[in-house]
Amino acid sequence: MADLIYENTVVNVVKEHFKDDIIDAKVRRQRRVELRTNTNNIESVLLFLKEKMGFLHLSHISCVDWIEENRFELVYILWHPQEKVNVLIKVDVDRLNPVAPNIDYIWPQANTYERELREMFGIQFEGLVGRHELILEDWDDLPPMRRDFDTLQYVMQNYTFRSGREDAQDVRETIAKRTGEEIPEFAKKYSR
Amino acid sequence: MNYVLNDRESSKIVEFIKNFARKNSLWVLAYGTGCGAIEIPPTMTSRYDAERFSVRGAATPRQADVLLITGYLSVKTLKRVIRSYEQMQDPKYVIGFGSCTINGGMYWDSYNTIKQLDLYLPVDVYINGCMPRPEAVLAGFAKLQELIGKGEANGWKHYKENLEWYRQNQQKLIKNWKMPDYNW
Repeated sequence: MADLIYENTVVNVVKEHFKDDIIDAKVRRQRRVELRTNTNNIESVLLFLKEKMGFLHLSHISCVDWIEENRFELVYILWHPQEKVNVLIKVDVDRLNPVAPNIDYIWPQANTYERELREMFGIQFEGLVGRHELILEDWDDLPPMRRDFDTLQYVMQNYTFRSGREDAQDVRETIAKRTGEEIPEFAKKYSR
Repeated sequence: MNYVLNDRESSKIVEFIKNFARKNSLWVLAYGTGCGAIEIPPTMTSRYDAERFSVRGAATPRQADVLLITGYLSVKTLKRVIRSYEQMQDPKYVIGFGSCTINGGMYWDSYNTIKQLDLYLPVDVYINGCMPRPEAVLAGFAKLQELIGKGEANGWKHYKENLEWYRQNQQKLIKNWKMPDYNW
């Protein structure tokens, strides 16, 4: 079943064409190929995949906050409608100065994704046109999807709770206490 | 014809008739926030048929009597809700729907949803549950009608009297306050 012919072809063609500009290329599993490049080459890689390989559809641009390694990882997810293969192109962006190239001339829908990333992670896309507010309104704190944004602290500062909320107890612990059951060590991290 | 409308007995009768009329024609503003709006279509359509309890939908805020807050309310939506509420004609009632309006519900640690609705709008009836079933919604409407009949659903009067307090709470969340003042 899993002969991975097309997936291997993608890896080989991209490696051959871009040589050292592709940092890493591998087949993750059936129908999923992973490439890693850098911000200087991301536009040419995307254009190559779209125009020469037939990855016509940009499914999503997502972002991972690797706060320990001081970087954001942008993931561009492309889809090949004929071969039914996904390609994930990963790019690292510096966390202190997050700038990435704007690609909405390749796929217009990228504009929305980039605006969302600008709002939720504070990543600046060079030359991105569009209102600064997409989902949030009058937001003047850290971008809320960053991992150093403390959601709970923000909630405690800005909202008040009706009394009675605080004696809401963990379901697992309550049941265990009632029946005298011992919670196993591995399950403890899941209870609040 | 020699009668006075301003004595105590007759004003009581007028009030009774007014309340009777009000409680038997509740027009609900067709405005859904959050996930609870999905419980409104079954409540209104043939199976639960809220119209037999004289509850109907209204298209615009100026025609509506009841504002249903169906579920969680983000700060962005709160701004629109306040504007809709202030455009409604007196008397007007607010029903808080689902546990999110009571104490945040499952969104208690979300940076963008309010936790207590009654800090921002005067709530007459709360319906708890996540989500409340159509039976619970109808029970909530029945409770509201009971309160209106007794003349106790006075949230709108309370809002006018304590406008400053409500404004203070609202403006704490809505930082860029560009709202018209209504001269009700």
